[in-house]
Amino acid sequence: MRVAAAVLADYGQLLTEELELDEPGPGEVAVRLAAAGVCHSDYHVYSGDLPLPTPMVLGHEGAGVVSSVGPGVSSVRPGDPVVLSWLPACGRCRACLTGRPELCRVPATAAEHGTLPGGRTPFRRVAGEPVYQFSLTGAFAEYTVVPEAGVVRLPAGTDLESAALLGCSVLTGTGAVWRTAQVQPGESVAVFGVGGVGLNALQGARMVSAYPRIAVDVSVRRLEAAAAFGATHFVNAVSDAPVDRVLALTDGEGVDAAFEAIGRPETIAQAFNATRAGGRTVVIGVTPPNAEVTLNAFAFPSQEKCLLGCWYGQSLPARDVPALLRLNAAGSLDLRSLMSRRYRLTDLEAAFQAMLAGTVNRGLIVFDA
Amino acid sequence: MPIFADTQRLYGTIGGFFETLTTAEEGQLIHRVGGPVLFVYHRPEGRILWNPCPPPGSWPAFCVSYGEESASVTPLLTFEQDADTAHRFWLGEIDLAQALARQQLRAIGSLSRAMKLLPHLDAVYPRYAAFVGGVAGA
Repeated sequence: MRVAAAVLADYGQLLTEELELDEPGPGEVAVRLAAAGVCHSDYHVYSGDLPLPTPMVLGHEGAGVVSSVGPGVSSVRPGDPVVLSWLPACGRCRACLTGRPELCRVPATAAEHGTLPGGRTPFRRVAGEPVYQFSLTGAFAEYTVVPEAGVVRLPAGTDLESAALLGCSVLTGTGAVWRTAQVQPGESVAVFGVGGVGLNALQGARMVSAYPRIAVDVSVRRLEAAAAFGATHFVNAVSDAPVDRVLALTDGEGVDAAFEAIGRPETIAQAFNATRAGGRTVVIGVTPPNAEVTLNAFAFPSQEKCLLGCWYGQSLPARDVPALLRLNAAGSLDLRSLMSRRYRLTDLEAAFQAMLAGTVNRGLIVFDA
Repeated sequence: MPIFADTQRLYGTIGGFFETLTTAEEGQLIHRVGGPVLFVYHRPEGRILWNPCPPPGSWPAFCVSYGEESASVTPLLTFEQDADTAHRFWLGEIDLAQALARQQLRAIGSLSRAMKLLPHLDAVYPRYAAFVGGVAGA
């Protein structure tokens, strides 16, 4: 079928194109997108910081309705509302069998090549050139085709605009707090970068009664918005030295858990330096694959600091998405307020600019019903 | 035991393979990178430079230079690795993302354009295997 999609023709060049999209093959699901969040990771691909093959359909944080299924699909059927998972784990490898599906190499390898597992590219230009899809999703398209493990069925009647955000930023931010750092009640927390993921790290910290919950950012607007998502203290990294300020807020000790949700070596080092002896620093932000960070080596043995990575919130979407929906229904998690602005598919560049300028919590590409 | 006993053998094998690419269709991919690419090797030590020959479509696609001769050109991108890692890479046995994450391979400079070539390397790996006569990695 012909579908409209936001295509990264080359780094820095976005086009809205009509593409051909194959029917779903064995074990695959076609989804009509309702909404897709605009995430900094999409921008990283756009800019070339996260270098992936082009041309590529961007977008990975989406929700919609199943339109058709390929042979052998049993967990969903046409008409089911679903949220996309950009890490459809195989369920059979060591990572999956030891409870770390986010480290499964099957989707990771496919994502590095811009394809589905096995190398398939269901999107093509009309002239026949294959078009890759970001992270086995390609959510900035009217329709996409994903592996069956790449959709999580939602209850009937779920608001799909809210649900779209569950596909990445909410899972990632809350997971970093709950599963990677395992923040306990009363522990202090600092979040470096309070964009889409960082705001959800704050929500996660609020839900486990961490205190204080320190937001660190260069954007005054983002800092103001962070209050609604659980920040209790605010550090403007333009006017204040962030490490010094976090230390001042924690009696000179540093925080029990610091989260870096930007993806820059400098702020990874700041988050580490703002962590107390015996504390945990969690790197969520995605740097370019050849970035390196400089840390004081003596701090590791002498202060017993832990430096941890977090990928997709160490989540299992089939388990964690329903839990997050329940928390949203209970009022503990705020999905609605995360959505600042809606855009059409043709406005993706404007959505990127708003995200970079810090004028939105989360922008959303919405599709006609 | 390193696969290449000395720098000359490194240059003869990997460098010799690079020279076959200068007149191969895949060699034109260098123009997508947009500038010179330097490969720095350790164990044994060595430097091999790809310098694109403009304009795109001309032959050879790029020129290969070695050692001190390569130092006169400023690379757009530098890959630094053990020679054994390089041998395994061109056999298609190295996951580039994993190698970068483990610093088995360091990339200095604009990596983004080079990463776009990844899907095209599947056609190049068998050429290297044929060139070295099917010698497996260490």
